[in-house]
Amino acid sequence: MEVASPRPAAADASASIAAVRARGVTKRFGERTAVAGIDFDVEPGICFGFLGPNGAGKTTTMKMVYGLATVDAGELTVLGMDANTERRRIKSRLGVVPQETNLDADLTVSENLLQQARYFGIDAGAAEKRAAELLEFSLLSDRGEERIYGLSGGMKRRLLISRALMGDPELVVLDEPTTGLDPQARLAVWGALDRLRRRGVTLLLTTHYMEEAERLCDRLVIMDEGTIVAEGRPPDLVRAHVGREVLELKLDEGCDADRLVASLDGRIQGHDRSERTLMLYADDAEAVLEQLDHDTYRTESALVRRATLEDVFLRLTGRSLRE
Amino acid sequence: MAMLDEPGYAGIGPRIPLRELVPVPRLAGAVWLRNARVFSKLWRGALLPTFLDPFLYLLALGFGLGTYVAHINGIPYKDFIAPGLIASAAMWSSAFETTYNVYFRMNELRLYDNVLSTPVEVQDLVAGDLAWSASRATIYGIVVLGVIAIFGLVSSWWALLMPPFVVLGALCFSVIGYAFTTLIPKIDLYSYFFTLFITPMFLFSGLFFPFNQLPDWVHVVAWFMPLYHLVEITRGLATGPEFWSIVGNSVWLAAVTALLFTIPVRALRRKLVT
Repeated sequence: MEVASPRPAAADASASIAAVRARGVTKRFGERTAVAGIDFDVEPGICFGFLGPNGAGKTTTMKMVYGLATVDAGELTVLGMDANTERRRIKSRLGVVPQETNLDADLTVSENLLQQARYFGIDAGAAEKRAAELLEFSLLSDRGEERIYGLSGGMKRRLLISRALMGDPELVVLDEPTTGLDPQARLAVWGALDRLRRRGVTLLLTTHYMEEAERLCDRLVIMDEGTIVAEGRPPDLVRAHVGREVLELKLDEGCDADRLVASLDGRIQGHDRSERTLMLYADDAEAVLEQLDHDTYRTESALVRRATLEDVFLRLTGRSLRE
Repeated sequence: MAMLDEPGYAGIGPRIPLRELVPVPRLAGAVWLRNARVFSKLWRGALLPTFLDPFLYLLALGFGLGTYVAHINGIPYKDFIAPGLIASAAMWSSAFETTYNVYFRMNELRLYDNVLSTPVEVQDLVAGDLAWSASRATIYGIVVLGVIAIFGLVSSWWALLMPPFVVLGALCFSVIGYAFTTLIPKIDLYSYFFTLFITPMFLFSGLFFPFNQLPDWVHVVAWFMPLYHLVEITRGLATGPEFWSIVGNSVWLAAVTALLFTIPVRALRRKLVT
């Protein structure tokens, strides 16, 4: 089916025009600065991720892109248009999957899609056809006449994605698309997003799940306290900030972590500590484990594993609880 | 005012250029259609009380009290109050639609966050909701007109011209209710709206008694109430029209509606577009 028609002709022309371009974008709420002058470029056709702890400014950034928050300072261009002054034109080419499920509980599943088409000014005949296609796309074909109450969390989320596609968007913004879903439902959502990206739709998503980011995002930024602390392709970020592997040691009571780290000077790329767990980052963690003086530094357990985006995330944003 | 200290109170919001106040009819229509679709599923249950309401008022006041108050301004008491009940039905319908129903759609279903992330802007959304509220109120008004006609309380064919005037009056009630909804931080404050505004307006807009034997200031206060103007129009049409009175009252309703439209648009934008 044609969810979003591929745009080969447009792809060449717009290759130089970023789908989203931010320069010094700032958002304040009273005294609090939610987004503090961020820069990024999203190439058309890719999946671009925003990672960060709660309150990092991800949702606010998304809202500025889709017109539910104004840009206080800096320049935000979406599909080549200014986010503050051309809201209506931007929104006509955009789809939004919000964090909160806000389906219309007074309407049926397919009526939700048909109503969305009206907001985009799509005529009734085309809307019917498109709604049927999108119900199939989100595996909800046999649920069209049901009320929203009867749907599971995963179905609701898939319906939200279909609703976001009713206007045939070039850019889809997803705010935590899989939060609260069970593993099967999450896989179904990932499948839908994969199909979308293959059709050339640009995806902008926020997530708390590192696995999701590694799997879906071509590029991503990590945000903390309103600023971007890292940007790149997921594997590059892991290599640059952590290395290839991690040696995870559970230290015995009384083991001096600082001296342990000092004893490995030059052989590790960095370390992090959380209570009695010590993480040592290295390209060859096995070798580090062999070189460790086990008589001086007693450990309860040792684990060698591949470095992940989660390590990068925790290195850059810290281990303390964010609330 | 306690309301201003509440965290949910966002205020009226900054001024908006005139061109951003003008709704796009097609998009306002999309908002109207959503509400009409939902109503089409519920109307059977919703309309029954509308039949009963004027019936009860006529019974208690027209045929009960009316036995003692035989005539007002030369017309039988039940004929005096009946056309006003069309206006008050439109008022009650508008008041409920733009308070509890809008509040529910906005804050419980959170539908407006979605609507505003499509090409629909705040002014289209408000216009569509107001148009729907006025449509619903007019349906109710027509039902009441039918009921009082059955009771033989409509003496002029001019009464058939009522619907457009009821639309106008209902838009005025609706924009006031909508403004209140966009300004209040929590649902409990609706009791103030109904007790301090809607109920006094119902009682003191010349629906149940005329002003000509009361002090002048009563007339002045009533002049500020939208219901007074709509009652004047519906009564005028039910008993034979007075052209200039209908024009004057219509201008009042249209002007107040247009002037107040900016309040919910500004307040809602401030609330939902941060």
